[in-house]
Formats: sequence, C-alpha cells, structure tokens
Amino acid sequence: MTLLSDTRYIFIRYMKKLVRTPILLFFSLFQPILFLALFTQLLTRLGNIPGILPSGVSYLEFAAAGILMQNAFGSALQSGNSIVADIDSGFLHKMLVTPVSRSAILLGRLTSDAFRVVVQTAIILALAYILGAAAGTPFTVTTGVIGILLIFFTLAFFGLAWSGISLALGMKTRSSETVFAIGGVITFPLLFLSSALFPISFLPSWVQTVSKFNPVSYAVDATRVLMINGYDWGTILPAWGVIGLVALITLSVTLYQFRKVVS
Amino acid sequence: MVTFMDDIITVKNLVEVYSDGTKAIDDITFSVQEGEFFGFLGPNGAGKSTTIKILTTLLRKTSGDVTIAGYNVAKQSAAIRKIIGVQSQETTVDGDLTGRENIELVGHFHQMKTDEIKKRVEALLSLVGLESAADKRARNYSGGMKKRLDLATALVHKPKMLFLDEPTTGLDPQSRSAIWSYLEKLNKEEGITIFLTTQYLEEADKLCKRLSIIDIGKIVASGSPAELKREIGADSIRISLENCKNDNSKAKELIKTLNDVTEIVDSEECLTVYAKNAGLLIADIVRALDSTGIRIASVTFSSPSLDDVFLKHTGKRIRTEELVKAPSAMFGGRR
Repeated sequence: MTLLSDTRYIFIRYMKKLVRTPILLFFSLFQPILFLALFTQLLTRLGNIPGILPSGVSYLEFAAAGILMQNAFGSALQSGNSIVADIDSGFLHKMLVTPVSRSAILLGRLTSDAFRVVVQTAIILALAYILGAAAGTPFTVTTGVIGILLIFFTLAFFGLAWSGISLALGMKTRSSETVFAIGGVITFPLLFLSSALFPISFLPSWVQTVSKFNPVSYAVDATRVLMINGYDWGTILPAWGVIGLVALITLSVTLYQFRKVVS
Repeated sequence: MVTFMDDIITVKNLVEVYSDGTKAIDDITFSVQEGEFFGFLGPNGAGKSTTIKILTTLLRKTSGDVTIAGYNVAKQSAAIRKIIGVQSQETTVDGDLTGRENIELVGHFHQMKTDEIKKRVEALLSLVGLESAADKRARNYSGGMKKRLDLATALVHKPKMLFLDEPTTGLDPQSRSAIWSYLEKLNKEEGITIFLTTQYLEEADKLCKRLSIIDIGKIVASGSPAELKREIGADSIRISLENCKNDNSKAKELIKTLNDVTEIVDSEECLTVYAKNAGLLIADIVRALDSTGIRIASVTFSSPSLDDVFLKHTGKRIRTEELVKAPSAMFGGRR
C-alpha cells in the first residue's frame, strides 16, 4: 500500500533531519530539563508542608508529569516550523509533483512528531530518575514498564493534538516566527492554569475553575496517576477522551489547511 | 527526423487569474511536440512559473484546456505526475540528506523498487558528475552542485517529459554550461521532451528548438530562434541622443527616409533602427542627424539577437544583466 510505504519514507526523512540537526533536539529539551532541574530544586520544600502534596510524594515526582507535558508542547511546536520550512524551500511542491500519497505527507510528519515526543519523554524520565536518586527522593514509575508505555502513549497522543495546532498555524501564516510566538503565548497559560506544576488545591479558586476546563489538566493527571498511584482508569480513560477530542478538532483544522495548500 | 510527431503538451486559451484579481496568464495557446526542446522566454513576472505550475498539476487553472501526454491536467493529474519530472526555480534539495538520499527519496515517491532505484541513482550521479560528493550532505554543496542534484532527482523515474523552471538562474558560467550540456544530452540521447523557462536569451538561443516569448501573461511571438531572428530581418543600430526627448521624433523622421531601414522603435538608449545593411547605414544616419544639428551620444551596432526580437514585440529589453554580453561593437565592425 502506497500510503503506508510513503508515510514510512517521509517519517524516515524527518528522523534523519532530526538526528542530523541535534541542536534542534537540544533546544526543545533544554527548557523542560531546565524546569526539571531548577523547579524541583527550588520547590523541594513544598513537600515538607503537610497537606499540599500527597503524602510520601516528592515535588520532583509530582512535577515530572507537568514537565513532560511542557516537553510535548515544545516538541510539537517545531512541527509547524518544519512545514513552513518545506513550503518555503519548495520541498512540499517537489513532493506534490510526484505521485506520493498526499495523506502520507501529513501522516509522515505527525508520526515523526509522535516518535520524537516519546524519545524526549524517555530522556526526561531518565534524568528525573537520576535527579531523584541524587536528591535522596527516589523517582519511580509505580506502574512499571507497561505504565511507562502508557505514559509514552498519552504524551505522544497529546503531542499529536498539539502538532495539529502548530501545523495549522504554520500552513496558515507561513511564518515560523508566528508559530513560535502564538505557540508560546498559548502554551504557558495552559500549563500554569492547570494541575501541571502545582497541586490543584494549592491554586486560587478561579484557577481551579479554569483548570477543570483545561485539557492539559486531564493529560497531566493521567500521566501522574500512572507514575504515582497506579492504573486509575477513571482518570486515564477520560484523559484519553479529552485528548482525542482536542486532536479531532486541531487535526481537522490542519487537514483543512493542508487541503488548501495542496490543491 | 521522423515526420509525424505527436503533441505532448497542448494548451488552449489558458487563463489564470489570482484571487487578488491579477491576470497572471492572459489567454495563451501553444503546443509542444514529443521529443522537442521547447522554451518560454520572458522577464520576471511574465507568467512563466505560473504556466509551469499549471502544467505540473501544482496550480489549478482559471480556464482553458491543458493536456499532458493526452491526460487532462484538471482531471487526470495523478497520471501526469507519474510521467513528468520537475525542477522548480527554487533549488529544492533537502540539505540534511546526502545527495544519494535526495535522489533515492524521490525514487520512493515514484513507487520505484529499491534495487531499481540503486541502479538509477548511480547512473544519475555520474550523469551530473556528483559521484564523489554523493554521500555528503547536500547542505554543503555549492549552488551549482545543488542545481545538478535537483536535476538528478527530477530524472530518477525516467520521465517522458521534463519541466525546468529557470534551471540556471543564479549560477556561474561554468555551472550553467555544465547544466546545458546535460540537458542537450537528455534531449538528444534519451529523447526526453523538455519544457524550459528562462530569462536568459543566450540560454533560449542555445538550447531551444522552438520557443515562445512571453510578456505580462501573453505570448507575443513564437518560432525557432533562427526564425524569430529572421523575422527581425535585419541588424540593429542603437542610437543614443544627447537630448532624446526633444530630438526623438525629428530623428525618426530623418532616418525613415534613408534606404534599407526596416523599422524604427523607441528603446532605452533612445532609438533602435533595424536595417538590412546596417554597417553601411551608420554613416548615413550620422551624417543625416549631424546636418540637422541633432547631437549623437553613441551609436551601437549588432546582428539580430533574441533581445531584438523581444524588444520588437514588447518595446523593452529583457533584464539579464549578469548574462547578456551583447555581441556589439561601437561604430560597425562586424564580429
């Protein structure tokens, strides 16, 4: 089937580009790692105040899920960038004058985004483990290997939903500066007005209300329970539902924009 | 030459109007025969790239009929994409991939088998002289190497028909002549039909068997370079006057009365006179103008070129500062 093989070749192209431009990987990992190192150090004492964090949970353990989410944001943001680069350089046209499957152009990009989120997630989890061990507050994932795979899935899925926004923005504006500017403007409020970095009870009540309608909270909560509590399907499944809904909307917009670019 | 040849491209009454109302293509009709080396010559913004985008299925036409190898461009774009190779004006190689990987990738886009691609890549690398750089990243290639690689990627699936949008723009003379020789080879030895756009007269003159001159969305003249030049029928004398504004019409009247003058047109210098025996005429012109007190700044003489064809049909010179070395000499002196 040409859709699958074409997707594969386009996926491989993006992987080669990523591996051969390690600076890109470095930059998108830089911020989450900085947050992981600084934030968890600065706010370690939070764990000592009773009633803020669940008992026996370090701030590192608590914040890891939020930082993974931030990482997925940052990585997905570069997706829109790549489509702008392909449009600007004419490479998209080069693909379009061949019989290559049109859907594969988009699918190849999205699968490479998802894969990239998984790789970066693995790197951050490993770093969290090292940091935890060094600080004497061991960082582990309660649900083990299967749980880690589910975490990968949740974040890749979330990354895809977010790639949808950045791809649509990229195709609409044809400007990577705009993608980064708008992406940045949306990312931070979503992250801070959610349960990503602070326990929900710790936040002012209006933020608590906003947080309930913030899809980031759902994704973070699912990741967090897999790390700390176990297979709490009552948290995990609704989160996947919310991410699916967001993905449906953003990827529809992307598809709409893509059709306009392609035709 | 085979006497019967089929048209591989037919374009009838093609019109392209952009969403902002600009008429980029204004009712053009032409055809290209199988095996032909055909060119569109025109300045920037004439509508060359727009035409190529329509012919290569990238842009939807506003109206008109276009077929490529018998396939309708509006309804059978998938069939067309299988048999065409395209090199766009921007050099579109992926700098993060090696030269070899760039060609292989496009081979995969054409659903070629892996071992078939491998063989083809070797042949193409040697055709465009990139064997030694094949496994280096294209990012590090020079401009000329990138263009050659881009050409190779357009050829991987052995297209029947090759579209080249300004394939040598921005290249140094050596790279340009290298590309020219590959293109001539492809057309002569492999029988690939080539449609090329260029703003370089020299390029059109050297490569194209037949060409159309396009300006502001319209075809203003068509024929072989020789035919087009013959149409001018004469050498040209470019006259620049010290006071062009005042003396222009008076000078025209005077020159008109001289023998052998075919045509006089306004040009950048001031006037361009076309005549059969321009060498002999120069003295007459100078004498005639001098006797009435019109002061001449300079007189330049040249044999007909496509530039003159362009000037005749559009009233302006084509802008190609970097390439055109006008085969001209002051005051006569045939080459």
